[in-house]
Amino acid sequence: MNLAIFDRLFFVRQISGAAALLFLAGCNDDSKITVYRIPKETQPATTPPPAMMDADSAPAVHWTAPAGWEERPATGFRKGSFLARGADGTQADISVISFPEHAGGLLANVNRWRDQLKLAPVTREAEAGKPMPVAGREMFFIDLVSAQPLQPDGSKSRIVGGIFPLNGETWFFKMTGPDQLVEAQRDAFQQFLASVHLAEGAPPMTADSGASTNAPTPPPIEPARGAPLKYTLPPGWREKPLTSMRLASFSAPGPDGKSADVSVVALPGMAGGDLANVNRWRDQVKLGPIDENALQQEAKHLKANGHDYLVVDLASAAPIGEPPAKQRIIAAILDENERSWFIKMTGQEAAVAAQKNAFADFLRSLNIP
Amino acid sequence: MSTTASAPNEFLRPLRFLASLRLTVVCLGFGMLLIFLGTLAQVHLGIHSVQAQYFQSLLIFWSPPGAGWKIPILPGGYLLGTILLVNLIAAHATRFEVSRRKIGIFLLHLGVILLLIGQLLTGLYARETQMRIDEGQTLGYSEAPREVELAVIDVSDPKFDQVVSIPEGALARQGTIQNPTLPFTLNVRRFLPNAHLAMRTQEPQAAPSMATAGFGARVVAREIPRTVKDDERDLSAAFVEINGVQRSLGTWLVSNAIGDPQPFRIDGHTYELIMRQRRFYKPFVLTLQHFAHDRYAGTDIPKNFSSRVRLLDFERGENREVLISMNDPLRYRGFTFYQAGFDNNDKTTILQVVKNPAMLLPYIACALVGLGLLVQFSMHLFGFAKKRSR
Repeated sequence: MNLAIFDRLFFVRQISGAAALLFLAGCNDDSKITVYRIPKETQPATTPPPAMMDADSAPAVHWTAPAGWEERPATGFRKGSFLARGADGTQADISVISFPEHAGGLLANVNRWRDQLKLAPVTREAEAGKPMPVAGREMFFIDLVSAQPLQPDGSKSRIVGGIFPLNGETWFFKMTGPDQLVEAQRDAFQQFLASVHLAEGAPPMTADSGASTNAPTPPPIEPARGAPLKYTLPPGWREKPLTSMRLASFSAPGPDGKSADVSVVALPGMAGGDLANVNRWRDQVKLGPIDENALQQEAKHLKANGHDYLVVDLASAAPIGEPPAKQRIIAAILDENERSWFIKMTGQEAAVAAQKNAFADFLRSLNIP
Repeated sequence: MSTTASAPNEFLRPLRFLASLRLTVVCLGFGMLLIFLGTLAQVHLGIHSVQAQYFQSLLIFWSPPGAGWKIPILPGGYLLGTILLVNLIAAHATRFEVSRRKIGIFLLHLGVILLLIGQLLTGLYARETQMRIDEGQTLGYSEAPREVELAVIDVSDPKFDQVVSIPEGALARQGTIQNPTLPFTLNVRRFLPNAHLAMRTQEPQAAPSMATAGFGARVVAREIPRTVKDDERDLSAAFVEINGVQRSLGTWLVSNAIGDPQPFRIDGHTYELIMRQRRFYKPFVLTLQHFAHDRYAGTDIPKNFSSRVRLLDFERGENREVLISMNDPLRYRGFTFYQAGFDNNDKTTILQVVKNPAMLLPYIACALVGLGLLVQFSMHLFGFAKKRSR
C-alpha cells in the first residue's frame, strides 16, 4: 500500500483537482462582465476629434406656441411644455423634447408612441406617418389614435406628434390627451410645428447653459441638472450617493440589519422594452424568462401623480448569492417624456418584504420631471 | 483489512468496488500514461493547451485530422483524480480500521486527500497574472498574459473612468452583450482568438472589412491558428457593433495588437473601446523605484534580479518600500509577487502575481504525508529493533 502512495504523490499534483467538475459550473467567472471606476491614469484627451464635434453641434430650435395654449415651465427633460384645455375640463399635454443622439430609427420612435396607445407596431415608415417640410427640412408628422378607451373617462387617447431629426439631435414635438380634444387641437398643433425655425450658426450649447429653454438635454446617464427628482423619503430610508447611472439612490432598512437597495434610473427611449428588462431582473433572481402575455398577467399597475407605473414583484425560488439568501426585486417601469424610468428595490427577501409598502408610498410621492 | 459483515451485501458491493486496490492500480496506470502522453503532446499543443485538454478535463478526445467528430480515448486528469479521491475515502470507509498501529498510514492518506482537495481549490480559485512596471511608474492592476478583455470606458468624467470589462469568454460566445450601465448594446459580430492584422494598402485584394467605424476599415484582419509556443501570445481581434437606442453607430475592429483606444460619442458621453490583456485591479498600487540586474563581476552571467517597489495602500494605511528578488517574493493581501522577468534594457520589471487561497494546503498535506511516513517507518524500525534485541 505504501508503494502505491509513493507513486501517487509523483503525479498527484497534475491529475488531481478532480472533484472540480462538480463545482465548475457554479464557479466559472471567466466570462463575467465587471464594471468598475478608476481614477484617470493619464491626462485625458476628453476633447473629441473635430469630426465628432461637428456632428454634435445642432442648430438652436425655436417655436411659437398658438394662442390659447398655457405655457408651463420647461422642467427636467422638457425644452418646452404646454397645456391645451378643452371646454369640458379635459386637458392635452404638449411637450418638446430633444435627444443629443443622432437621428434615425424613426420607426422605433413611432412604435414607442404606438405602444403607449396599445397599438401594434408598424414595419414600414409609410404606415407610420407622413413627412412635412419644416424650416427647410423634413419633419415626420404622426397622428395616432388608440383602438381601446385608455382615458380615465373612458374615451380613446390620441397622440399627434412631429419627429424632427437635426444634426446630432432628434427633436420630439408631441401632443397627447383625449381623442376629441387632441383632434380639435390638431390644427393648432400643426401651426405650432410650422412655427418651428432654426437659428443656424448658433454656438453649440452645453448642458450647463441650463437657463435657456432650448438647451440640449443633459445626457440621460447623468442626473438631470436643475430638475431634481421630487419625492417624500419614507421613514428609515437613507439617501445614498448617486452614481453615474442613478438619479436617486436609497438604502431601505430591513428587519435584521440587512437593507434593501432602491434606485431610480432613466434611460432614453424604450431601453429594450418592458419585457426585456423584466426578464433581465428575473434572471437576477434566477427565474426563467416570461413572454408578453405572462408579463401582462403578472404585472400590476400603480397609478400615481398622473403616472401609470408597471410594477413587478419577483422573488427567487431558492436562496441564491453569497451568503445564500432569498432575493427579491420589486420594480416599477414608467414610459414618460421619451424616457424609460426604472424604480427598483432589490435585496434580501425579508428586507424587501418589510419595505414593500414604503416603496409604494415612495412611488406615489415621486414626481417625474 | 476487516469488513463489517453485518451490513447488507447489496449496499457493500459497489462500495467494495470503489474501495478496491485494483481500481487504485488501474487509475495509477492511467495516470502514468496520461503524464507520458501529455508530455509528448506539449510539443504540438503547448503547455497551456495540454493542461486544459489532458489534466483539467474529464476525458481526452481524439479526432482524425480534418474530421468533424471526436471520440474519447482516455480518462482526463479530473476524472482520474476524482476516482482516486473516492477510492481512497471508500477504502477507509470499508477496509481500514482505526488503530494505533495504522496511525501512520492514516495520517499519510489524510495528507494525500488534502493534496487532492488543495489542487481542486487551486484549480478553481487560483489566478496567475503579471504586472509590468517601468521604473518610476505606478500601477494598480495586473494583467492576464493569455487572456484579453474588451474594455468599454466612459471617459466623460474629468477625474474618473468608468470601465465595463468584457472578458474573452463573453466575447468568444459572440452575439449581443448588454450591461445596465451602458446606454447601448454591443454586438460581437465576430471574434478571432488569434489574428494577423495588416494595412489594407498592403493587401488590396482582401475581402471588405466588417468594420465601418474607427480604424478597422483600413485594416485587414485574418484569423490564424492559436499559438502553442510558450514565449508567444495570441493577438486577438473582434468586430463589435455598437447599437444605440435608435440605430447602430457602426462596427469597430478592436484588437490587442493596437494600443490606441477608439472613441465614440453617444448621449453626450464619450466612450472608448479598447481590447487589451484582461486587467485585475488591486486595492493598492506598486511603484517601481529601481530594477537591479546584478551580474557576476567581469561576466554577463546574471547573479540576481530584484525590484525595489513602494507599496501604497490607502485602505490600510500601508506605505513602505519592499525589495522583491528571485527567491524573496512580496506577499500582501492574499497576493504573492514573484520576480519573474525584466525588459526594456533593465528599466522594466515583470512580476508574476499569484493569488491562491489554497496556497497553504499543499504544505500542510506534505507535512502530514511526511509525518505519516515517519511514524509508520519508525514503528516498523522500533518493532524490528525490539525483535532483534530479544
